[in-house]
Amino acid sequence: MRKKASAAATEAGSAVLTENDLLIEQAYEALDGGAEGKSPDGIINNKQPSKWDKWKANFKRRGWILLFILPALIYILIFCYAPMYGILIAFQDYMPGDQIIGSNTIWIGWDNFHTFFSNPNFWDYFTNTFLLCFFGFIVGFPLPIIVALLLNSLRAKKVKKGLQILYYAPHFISLVVMVGMLKLIFGSDGLLDQLSVKLGGDVNGLQLFLKPEAFRPLFIFSGNWQDFGWSAIIYLAALSGVDPALHEAAKVDGASRFRRIFSVDLPAIAPTIVMLMILSIGNLMSCGYEKVLLMDPEGILGTSEILSTYVYRFGLNGSYGLGTAAGLFNSVINVALLIIANFTSKKLANQSMW
Amino acid sequence: MKKRKIFAALLAAAVCGAAVIPLSACVYKDDDDGHEFTVLTVKEETVKDYNTMPVFRALARETGKDVFWVYNTSTQYANNTDPVGTKGIDAIYHAGFSNLQLYNYGRRGKIVAIDKYLQYMPNFKAILEDPERPDIAEALKSPDGHIYSLPRIEEMGLKAYPNLLFINKAWVEKLIDGGNLPAEVKSISGKEDLKDGLALKRSEFKAILQQFNALDMDGDRDRTNEVPLAFVSNNWQGNESDLIASFGVPENIEHKTIVDDKVTFTIESKEWFNAVKELNDWYNKGLIRSTAFTQTQDEFLARGQDGRYGAFYWWEKETVVSKDLQGDYIMLQPLIDDATGKQYVGKSNELEVEKSECVILGTCKDKAGLLSYFDKFFEPDYSAQLNYGSIESGAFEREKVDGKLIPNDDHGKQSADDFRMKNAPYGVVYLTEKVWQTSVEMEKRAKLRLERLDVYVENSVFKGAEVKSIPNLNYTKEQLDILNKYETSLGKNITSWLVNRITSKSAPTESDWQNNLLKTNRTSIEEVKKVNQAAYDKYLEAINK
Repeated sequence: MRKKASAAATEAGSAVLTENDLLIEQAYEALDGGAEGKSPDGIINNKQPSKWDKWKANFKRRGWILLFILPALIYILIFCYAPMYGILIAFQDYMPGDQIIGSNTIWIGWDNFHTFFSNPNFWDYFTNTFLLCFFGFIVGFPLPIIVALLLNSLRAKKVKKGLQILYYAPHFISLVVMVGMLKLIFGSDGLLDQLSVKLGGDVNGLQLFLKPEAFRPLFIFSGNWQDFGWSAIIYLAALSGVDPALHEAAKVDGASRFRRIFSVDLPAIAPTIVMLMILSIGNLMSCGYEKVLLMDPEGILGTSEILSTYVYRFGLNGSYGLGTAAGLFNSVINVALLIIANFTSKKLANQSMW
Repeated sequence: MKKRKIFAALLAAAVCGAAVIPLSACVYKDDDDGHEFTVLTVKEETVKDYNTMPVFRALARETGKDVFWVYNTSTQYANNTDPVGTKGIDAIYHAGFSNLQLYNYGRRGKIVAIDKYLQYMPNFKAILEDPERPDIAEALKSPDGHIYSLPRIEEMGLKAYPNLLFINKAWVEKLIDGGNLPAEVKSISGKEDLKDGLALKRSEFKAILQQFNALDMDGDRDRTNEVPLAFVSNNWQGNESDLIASFGVPENIEHKTIVDDKVTFTIESKEWFNAVKELNDWYNKGLIRSTAFTQTQDEFLARGQDGRYGAFYWWEKETVVSKDLQGDYIMLQPLIDDATGKQYVGKSNELEVEKSECVILGTCKDKAGLLSYFDKFFEPDYSAQLNYGSIESGAFEREKVDGKLIPNDDHGKQSADDFRMKNAPYGVVYLTEKVWQTSVEMEKRAKLRLERLDVYVENSVFKGAEVKSIPNLNYTKEQLDILNKYETSLGKNITSWLVNRITSKSAPTESDWQNNLLKTNRTSIEEVKKVNQAAYDKYLEAINK
């Protein structure tokens, strides 16, 4: 039991809990002492209890704890699973107000998918989505880890706290305001353009918002600037669980600060990193359409039109079925990626979500 | 132990309850009790309440129908995915449905086929059966032959040409005074030439813009805050279409027009490509600023008020420049093409027959009654008041002259535009050329624009009937599906290519145009052309019957 508990805890990426678990376990044993058929004098019954019996006894003793997951379960059922029947729209000629399953539903089979895949721009949208999200992942995934490691090895705790707040504060800026800021700084007549004009550059400035090649960097770096501090928090939490004794031992062995990051900190948060990596690969093809739409000047559509903006535009155009089909396609890719990532990590790092 | 369990159970129950209660809290509030009809209309907060507008009161008195108006702002309406499913309403005014939406709602019986109720609608019936206007009935039909919406028909002959070109006379005078007028500008011999209707060659115009760009025209020691040539790219009015058209191609913002009864894409012609190449040069010389491609209408109007535009394309100059600077600007004729010595202006596809202004819902209990009420809207007196504001509120003189309603342009401190915005519900109207001649006098602004248009279009090679706007076409369901599949992406690809190439550092090459615009979009171009051509041929057949 203890072994299992501690294994589960490690798997969840928080080795810290092991010790607590142990104490709790002991407390329960003490509390429920004679209640479970053990004779008071400590003689253990010869009959080995079956797995089922153990489970039953355990449930009887601690089953009420399960009540705590009930709200989450209900939430997920209502908001995540129940609406899923809506994907049936992908196979229908649907209009709002129609019944999704009913006598007058107009089923059209795979027509929507056919229309979607035969769109002459389908591959453009697909590549745009992939590149945008992939580059976003390449830049955005390691950044918070590096920041967390650096912050963690700062000696002055006050400086660390201050920097941490400074880094995650931008997270609370709303997307609309964020894009507004981008336009004020990089857009037509923006700060950068005015500066470059004042410094004797081209009268039209740099015009980053009209350059397709500037779209991805702007999108990705602004997104990461906003979120790297926030994402670092989870790694900082994992780092705070590293046993100081390990650091001391390393120090005694003469390890430098840098060396300790690699040999103590990094291995300690490795499970967290792997888990978050699997999760973000599962979301690889779904970068938010809101920001793309907000940033969306006409000249760069060739680069900025992605699958989710396509879904949005067609949804608004009244082609709900087509929009749903495109969205479903995107989700299927995401699920496939998630499974591949999970499988790979299971094979290579013996870490997996299920 | 026991206590802990109970506490935990209560806690869990409370959390679950909190999650579920809000779901049941949204109950629709019905506030139209006691009215015969309730109509949902799209209206901004600033427009007066329809329920108190004199024109609707007069309509109620005359028809005896009790209609109650409820509102969505345009933002609310745009986000309303199922307006037809709104509870407790009988019709939607300013519905603005697309062809596909009309057909789909109609097919499901959610909106009413109005042609079944023509016996209750004498005015609408007369319009549909007008032997001189077979195009209207044809335009309104859905693929299944039914008419699902009431139209808005306002024919002033203004919309086909949404751009006029104005130049800053004061700045040109400054150039003349300072001896800075380029020698190549031969069309201007002195200040006396600077009046409305001046004709310039494109090269002369460019030379003047270059001076506007090089010199500090407004004298504030900052030569970067003047805009030599301003417009709003890809906007329905005041766009760059006429500039591109000046190379000899009937351009409009959809890049799609009818030439000799053939549906044509302008982007396929060599002139169009030449225009893009030249515009790229203008951009890189600073004559066109990047704001032209990123600004909205409102931003354009705000930037122009203090006379910082050297020249601009817009519907009229009155809204662009503040009142005291009106005299600084004169209207130019369309630019003369240097190669051919001719003027070209394309025709827009903005139509004067708008198809879906009002739909009646299938749930309406007395369809004939409500339609007979809306039928009154087509009468000239009501149409005029719906379009400009009620007689009682001062939009028209109380006395008719020669049987015509005379617009009142004096609204005290309010501008005519503001007055109209607040007092006119717009929507279903019937104001054709005939009505303007017999029943309603045009307002001054419209008359002024018509006068200007006469000058502007007079010499255009495309003035005649060989170049036409694409009318409201009656597509089949399959055709609508094909258009839905190709047209949106195609439009975006063209706009994207155009803006991108104009604003890039290097001039676009012919192979770039051939490969990256025409070749990659070949399927879409051909499909859209084919569908439009088929529908247009059907249209020609129907109206020539």
